Amino acid sequence: MKSIIVMHEKDNVGNALEDIRKGDDVSYATNGQKQHLVAQDDVPFGFKVALRDIAPDADIVKYKEVIGMASRPIKAGECVHIHNVKGKRGRGDLEEAQA
Amino acid sequence: MKFKGFIRPDGSVGIRNHVLIMANARGASNLALLIARLVHGATVYVQPQEGGRDTADRQTIARTLIGAARNPNVGGVLVVGVKENGGYPEFDAANFVDAIAASGKPVETVFLNSSGGLQHALGEGMRKARALIQKASECEREEVGLGDLSVAVKCGYSDPTSGMSGNPVVGYLFDRIVEAGGTAMFSETTEVIGAEHILAKRFTDEGQRRKFLDAVARVEAQAKATGEDIRKINPIPANIQAGLTTLEEKSLGAIVKSGSMPIQGCVAYGEKPEGRGLYFMDAWMSSSALFLGFAAAGAVLTIFQVGGGRFPEDALMPSAQSGLVAPTLFMTGNPHAYENIHEEVDFTSGTVISEKEPLASAGDRLVREVLRCASGRLVKGEIMGVKEFPEMYLQGPCL
Repeated sequence: MKSIIVMHEKDNVGNALEDIRKGDDVSYATNGQKQHLVAQDDVPFGFKVALRDIAPDADIVKYKEVIGMASRPIKAGECVHIHNVKGKRGRGDLEEAQA
Repeated sequence: MKFKGFIRPDGSVGIRNHVLIMANARGASNLALLIARLVHGATVYVQPQEGGRDTADRQTIARTLIGAARNPNVGGVLVVGVKENGGYPEFDAANFVDAIAASGKPVETVFLNSSGGLQHALGEGMRKARALIQKASECEREEVGLGDLSVAVKCGYSDPTSGMSGNPVVGYLFDRIVEAGGTAMFSETTEVIGAEHILAKRFTDEGQRRKFLDAVARVEAQAKATGEDIRKINPIPANIQAGLTTLEEKSLGAIVKSGSMPIQGCVAYGEKPEGRGLYFMDAWMSSSALFLGFAAAGAVLTIFQVGGGRFPEDALMPSAQSGLVAPTLFMTGNPHAYENIHEEVDFTSGTVISEKEPLASAGDRLVREVLRCASGRLVKGEIMGVKEFPEMYLQGPCL
């Protein structure tokens, strides 16, 4: 059983507290309740894992705050990083596209 | 919560006792360097070139130089120059001397044109520097309290541990310092983007809150003006390789280093806060420039809180005491990074992850480490054989 930390009960991602391999059982606690999921990817120490399915363009929430949005569908247990998340702030690339 | 520090004539408390040799303009920096080589125990600085800079940037350079000289860690100052005035008005020697002398510390001057040329100026400078250093060596440490400290923090090489086990421990230290009546500063305007709404609520003064939010908006506009996704610039590649995904995520982990106290104001790079308490400095995040800005604002100790997830083994730390007169204590909240770089890092709170140490326990250890350093224990970086010349946060064009 591998462990992750979820910073706030409203979050939809948690951070790996150790290196997690695809297929590992992962446990965490929110609201004092033990939860678990199965890793769908390798998730290195410190990287994020989705706690539930996240639809494209839906917010990624950590520290109960929005840290970005899904750039494609993300399944519970997948690693959540730049390959499936885009930022919402400081997007000069989008400004130019609109100009 | 006591330590032994140097009580300066203006009542401020230093933790080091530098004699600073500095030029009032870049053109005389070589004179400062030469004099510093002729004596033992001087701290010297080669500043950015002021020529062709706009007024705002020249004011930043002058404010930073004067602020560093007024820092309580400085026990005496030698100002050198080509001539007393005649250049840009910000660099008139009288501005420097009057501002430094107002703090009550000894200040001397040497000018090439009035001392009769380089060889005479070197002799005069050597004589004055030696006297200043000898005088400073007689300063004695006296017992003072945590509330006499002014401490500033930068986080860097951020990774996901920064927001979990590193920055929260700094926040705990900051709360203790502010409670005790001291001053604490944090900064890095780009790295509050996405978290500014949380910090804004903690400003006590509406005008200062507006100033802070305007600063964040200015920096985000600058980011957008590049035409790039900010993620190609910041988070930096090392942050992304260690698992941080967006600037917003980095920011939310970064602001935790400010602790939980009310924020009294938003100051410019190198600007000294008017009062005590917690302050935000509107500045560039660079470890090559920010620590000097903090020192100029009166910080006597700076903390570099690194994630360090991707540091190679036994890495040289990314800045070599760039606070000039304010030492930098390195810490990490990443237990794996600490294994790699413990020779370079002064403190770890990686135990919050590896041993489930409570944050308050790690925070109390950090308070004790800070007091030790404030009483004179050298940090690891101070013992290294290099000390870099810091950059400054200058924003205007070079014309």
